[in-house]
Amino acid sequence: MASLLAPMAGKVIEVSVSEGDTVEVDDVVFIVESMKMETPVFATEGGTVKEIKAKVGEFISDDDVLAVIE
Amino acid sequence: MSRKQTPLRPYFEKMPDIGKLLEDRDFKQRGPNAKDVKEQEDLIAQAEKKVREAGKPAEKVRQRGQMTVYDRLEYLVDEGTWCPLHTLYNPKDNEEGCTGVVDGLGKIEGKWAVIIGFDNKVIAGAWIAGQAENILRVTDLAKRLNVPLVWMTNCSGVKLPEQDEIYADRRGSGAPFFRHAELNKLGIPVLNAIYGTNPAGGGYQGISPTILLAHEGANIAVGGAGIVGGMSPKGHFDIEGVQSLIEATKNFKAKPPGRVETHFDQTAYFREVHESEQGVLNGIKEYMKGVPAYDPRFFRVAETAAPKFSGEDLNYIIPFNQKRTYDVIEVLARLTDNSEFMEYKPDYGPEVFTGIAKIAGLPVGVIGNNQGFFKDYPEYREEGSMGVGGKLYRQGLIKMNEFVTFCGRDNLPIVWLQDTTGIDVGDAAEEAELLGLGQSLIYSIQKTELPMMTIMLRKGSAAAHYVLGGPQANDNNAFTVGTPLTEIYVMHGETAAAATYSRRLVKEQEAGRDLEPVIEKMNKMVQDYYDRSRPIYCAERGFVDEIVSMQLLRNYCVAFTESCYQNPKSITPVHQMILPRIIKG
Repeated sequence: MASLLAPMAGKVIEVSVSEGDTVEVDDVVFIVESMKMETPVFATEGGTVKEIKAKVGEFISDDDVLAVIE
Repeated sequence: MSRKQTPLRPYFEKMPDIGKLLEDRDFKQRGPNAKDVKEQEDLIAQAEKKVREAGKPAEKVRQRGQMTVYDRLEYLVDEGTWCPLHTLYNPKDNEEGCTGVVDGLGKIEGKWAVIIGFDNKVIAGAWIAGQAENILRVTDLAKRLNVPLVWMTNCSGVKLPEQDEIYADRRGSGAPFFRHAELNKLGIPVLNAIYGTNPAGGGYQGISPTILLAHEGANIAVGGAGIVGGMSPKGHFDIEGVQSLIEATKNFKAKPPGRVETHFDQTAYFREVHESEQGVLNGIKEYMKGVPAYDPRFFRVAETAAPKFSGEDLNYIIPFNQKRTYDVIEVLARLTDNSEFMEYKPDYGPEVFTGIAKIAGLPVGVIGNNQGFFKDYPEYREEGSMGVGGKLYRQGLIKMNEFVTFCGRDNLPIVWLQDTTGIDVGDAAEEAELLGLGQSLIYSIQKTELPMMTIMLRKGSAAAHYVLGGPQANDNNAFTVGTPLTEIYVMHGETAAAATYSRRLVKEQEAGRDLEPVIEKMNKMVQDYYDRSRPIYCAERGFVDEIVSMQLLRNYCVAFTESCYQNPKSITPVHQMILPRIIKG
C-alpha cells in the first residue's frame, strides 16, 4: 500500500483516474494548479487505485495524501 | 597502419543519454494535445499556402516561358536541405500578403548559403513595403553565419503608389545595397542570378553583388524605359497633357536599357549569360563549388547521428495548455545527436539547463528553461519558497552568464530553447540583483561574438525574452524560429488587464458604480493580447523568423550548426576546449 502525496500546495483541477483503476509508475493521476501553473502528479508506484482522497476544486497542502495505491 | 579518431574522444564520443521512449499510454493520454497542436499547424500551413500563391498563378508565369521563384529554388537547392525563413513576414500588412521576396537557408553543391529571390509572381518582383526590412534580416543572417548570400534577382522596381512606404528611410530599399557592400567588405560573397527587367532599384539590386550571372533576356539599368514622358511642364495633368503622353507612349518602341548587349558585350559586368533559366542557376552552382568551406571533419567531435527519439513525439510532449508543465529535456532528446547531452551545473540554478550537445557531429552550447516546481528555491526568499519553471532567478542567471562566457571562449555556437514567463520580481529579487544579472547576461552574450539561434518553444515574455538569446541580440541571434505553440507578449493578457485596470476597479467600486463596463474592457484586453501573440501574428510581425512544425526543428538546428562551422572566423582547437573539462570537474 502506498500513499500518493501532493508535491506542492495548490488546487486539484483534474482527477485522471478512478478508484479501482490500475496504474503504472509515471501514469498521470492528478493535475494540480499552483502559482498559475498546472503540473501533473504521477503515480510513484504501480497497482490498483484503492482510494482517491482529493476532489476537483479542492485546495491541497504540501504532502497531503491524494490517493492510496495498493 | 594509420589510426584516426575525433578529438577529445573521452568527452565527446559518448555523452550522457537523455530522454525516454514515449509509450502507448503517453500517446493515448496526450493524443488530444497532439490534435490541438495539429490544428495550429494546419492554420499555419494554410497561411503559408496563401503566401506561396500570392500574385499571378504560377502557371501563367510558366506559360510565358519563365520559372517562378519557387521553381528556381527547387532547381538550385540541394534536396532536403531547404529551411525557409520569413514566409509569413508582412510587417506592413501589404495587400499582397507578403514582402515579395522568398528566402531561407539551404545547401547548394553541399555548402550552406543564405538564399533569397524576388517573387516574380508578385507585381513582377516589385519593391513593396516591408521588403527592405526582410532583405536586411537576410543580409544580417549571411553576415552572422559568415556564409555566402545567393540572390535570384527579378525586380521590376518600386510599386509606385506606395513609394513613400518603400523608397526612403534609414532602413528603406536602398539599405540592402550598402549591406551587400558590407558583406563584400567582410569577405562574404554575394552571388546573383539575374532574370527579367530590373530598372532603377532593380538595377542596383543587379549590380551590387559580387558575381553577376544573367539570363539572356535580363537587363539591369539606372532607370527603365517606362519613364517615357518625363515631368509634366505644367506641374499638373490636363486633357492636352495626357493626350501628348498617350502619343509619346504609343510611339515608344525602345527596348529596355542595360541589356546583355551592353552589360555582357560592352561593360562586361555580367560574367556569364545563359540561354536557359536553369543555365544561370547552373552557373551559381559552379561558383558555389569555389566558395570557402571547411570539410566538417575539421570540427566534428563525433560522427553525425540522428536523435534516438522521433521529432514527431514533440506534439505529444509540449502541452498546448500554456499553463501546463513538461520535461524540456525530453524536447532536447529529440533535437541532439543520439539524444546525448553533457550538462553544466545541473544542481545549481535548477530553473534553467545549460550544457553541450552535438548537432551533426558538431559541438554546440544549449540553454533553455526547465519547467515545473523547485522546492525551497530561490535561496534568497524565505524558507519553504517554491520556484516556478519558466522564471529566472539569481542562480539561473549566474549559471547562464558563466556558461555563455565559456561558450564564447570555446567558440561553441549556442541554441536557446525559450519558454519563459519572466524574471522574478519584487524587493527580494532586486536585492538578489536580478536586474543587474539580467543585463549582465545581455553583456555576456554580446561579448561572445558567437552566432546563436533561438527556438521559441512556447512563451516569450517580459525581459526574459530578451536575455535568453532573443532576436533582440542583433549581433548574435542569427534567426529565431517559433512553433505552433509560440506566444510572445510583454506580459500575459490577464496580468496586463489586472495591472491596467485594478485602480480603476477600486475607484469605480468606491463610487458605487457598475463594474461591468470595466470588466468588459479587461476581457477585451485579454482577448486582444491573445490575438496579437498567436504564432501567425508573431511571424507576420517578425517576432520570429519562421514558424516551424516541431518535427522539423532539428533541421533548423542542423542548418544553423553546420553553417556556423562552414567557415568560422575564429577557431578553438577542440583539445583546448575548457567547458568539457569544467563539466567533468
